[in-house]
Amino acid sequence: MAAGFSRDTNLLDGSHHADSADSAFTFEGNWQDFARIALPNLLLTIVTLGIYRFWATARERRYLWSRTRFVDEHLEWAGTGMELFAGFVIVLVLFGVPYFGVSFVSQALIARGYEALGSALGVGALLSIFYLGGVARFRALRYRLSRTRWRGIRGGSDSKGFAFGLSYMWKTAVGWLPLGLLLPWSMTSLWNERWSKMSFGPFAFRSDGEAGGVFARFLLFYLAPFVLFVGGVIMAGMGMLAGYGIGGENGVALGGLVGLIGLVLFFYLGLGLIAVAFYAKFYREMVGATRWRDLRFSFEASTLDWVKLLLGDALLVVFTLGIGLAFLSYRHWKFFMTHLEASGEILLDELTQSRTRTAGHGEGLLDAFDMGAI
Amino acid sequence: MDTSFQLAAEWYDGRSALRHAGELHWDGHAGLVLHAPTARAEFAVDDLQFADTRPGQMIYRRKSQPDFRLILPADMPPGLAARLPRPSTYGRWIDRLGLGRAAAIFAVASAAAVALFLTAPAWLGPRIPAGWERQIGDALIGDFGGRICHTPAGDAALAKLLAKVDPADNAQDKVRAGIANMDMVNAVALPGGQVLLFDGLVRQAESPEELAGVLGHEVGHVRERHVMTALLRQFGMSILLAGADSGVTNGVFGLAAMGYSRDAEREADEYARARMAESAISPLGAADFFARMADERSDSEDGPAVLGWLASHPSAGERAQAYRAAARTAPAYPPVLSDAEFAALKSMCADDPDVAEFDFF
Repeated sequence: MAAGFSRDTNLLDGSHHADSADSAFTFEGNWQDFARIALPNLLLTIVTLGIYRFWATARERRYLWSRTRFVDEHLEWAGTGMELFAGFVIVLVLFGVPYFGVSFVSQALIARGYEALGSALGVGALLSIFYLGGVARFRALRYRLSRTRWRGIRGGSDSKGFAFGLSYMWKTAVGWLPLGLLLPWSMTSLWNERWSKMSFGPFAFRSDGEAGGVFARFLLFYLAPFVLFVGGVIMAGMGMLAGYGIGGENGVALGGLVGLIGLVLFFYLGLGLIAVAFYAKFYREMVGATRWRDLRFSFEASTLDWVKLLLGDALLVVFTLGIGLAFLSYRHWKFFMTHLEASGEILLDELTQSRTRTAGHGEGLLDAFDMGAI
Repeated sequence: MDTSFQLAAEWYDGRSALRHAGELHWDGHAGLVLHAPTARAEFAVDDLQFADTRPGQMIYRRKSQPDFRLILPADMPPGLAARLPRPSTYGRWIDRLGLGRAAAIFAVASAAAVALFLTAPAWLGPRIPAGWERQIGDALIGDFGGRICHTPAGDAALAKLLAKVDPADNAQDKVRAGIANMDMVNAVALPGGQVLLFDGLVRQAESPEELAGVLGHEVGHVRERHVMTALLRQFGMSILLAGADSGVTNGVFGLAAMGYSRDAEREADEYARARMAESAISPLGAADFFARMADERSDSEDGPAVLGWLASHPSAGERAQAYRAAARTAPAYPPVLSDAEFAALKSMCADDPDVAEFDFF
């Protein structure tokens, strides 16, 4: 059979890790080819006032998926622009119009003097958006798996995500309640819940990540303000001293100001860096805790890798005056596929077609809320 | 001519992940046969649908079996290539038109749509029947939650003032004016021919002529159909900014903040001056009002012209001048309201025991 694999058994053992050329996930695309897709997409999206973006997304994904090899076969993106567009329209009609109506009624009630009722209605509308945000996260992942094919087989989920929406609401709320201290728990728990409802072919994913693994990193958020504040005060003090050395009294003010600006920058950059460090750890932990049949996954991007990715994104966008935005999906996909690993064994004989139902429409909900899938 | 031949092919049957590698036999007409040591399939060329391209490969699925994947080398014989469905690049419409032509057509259509969208409020607003506007206004604000002040003397004084700046005869068309129990120096024209002076404005007024000027201005907005235009414009903005603020308005505050164009403000001012001239009301009161506003906002008559140009309202200084210029020197204007009537207006909200407070939260 092809590529030297035995007829029904496909061994992916540790030896694949030793040789990176033989990684389970390989990305074979290049940015020049992607530009031939992304730049016409940009043009068409502009001249259609954004409507083409659904078809643009489908084209990009067809390219990215088809240039990604898992073991010995490429992925295929089987989604279409039309179904993404349909998803968007469905969301607009099912949720956008009612939301519009509810906020109209709520304003009218307030204007008539029923403040409590009007406000309650407004809060209700916000709560339903919160709920639908959770449903949307679930359905985006389900949609992507159901449109991803490998050797003709696709993924999916038997759940429609409505129960997950409720979990998302209460777990996120509980996560924030004790000063946000339980957020690592709510994030890991929601990841586990979401992935455990997904499947590829006949087999479900399993995820059992624990918050303990990421909690130490999360505590940096609480420690950081103190460290940054003390560091900032020292910096401001040094700035004032330096200013005094250069220009007496006026120098002190100037030096203090420079120190203060340094403090603010330091604060934001510091918090940003902690967020990146946390997410880097979170992804390593959670992808590492996710399994499918006998396959184990791992994601080996360090904090530094993420910082390089994000800095690269920022520089690319700034120096191309925004055109670089069209290449971010390429960069992110490549980053993801470069660092994603899998090890274990797949029995091709038992990998049969998924029996999950597929929705005929795309990521409408998610599109409307503008979130990422993973 | 016998065009039948065979070429290497791989396929997945869509039921399992097993790959079948063998040959594709084409009979030169409509029939295809896939043959491999592991499997065999037979179907019509027309059953195939384009799915994807890869470097050096074309991928097709079958209409009758959407999970089926056939992988063929991209450099297949032209005879077969012509029979197979064409690969799709941008999407059906654009593939048919070509990228350049499609982009040009879309650009023209989009520009037309944008132009229509931007100009619609201006030409659509005045064409919306007044009856509809009244219904929209009633739906938006209703009776204002009992926040309109009423006393017999005050109502009579306001009706007298309104009659002078709004000459409509039949009650159906008449502008409905009221004084809202709200401590702000402001006045609004609301959808549905309703004009509200805020109590704050009434109480700071130094003459009834001042109130006549402001009332005339707001009536001008109603009569020139500016309100519907502004409402449509705000509706359009909220569609554009959908998500940021999807509500039609932010309640009364949204309506109060709803901007008119500078031209609309001028038209409303001109309307007010014309009505005041007809009813022999001195425009100097309104001039004083705008002069005071100019002082307060420190954009005096010789303030920076740039600010006046940027702000949606003509600068208060400019407007004070326009009102002052409209005044005649002789004969002297009679007072528009008696002192008692003016006092009744000013104390109307304080005297009304039933009026609701204007607190939203």
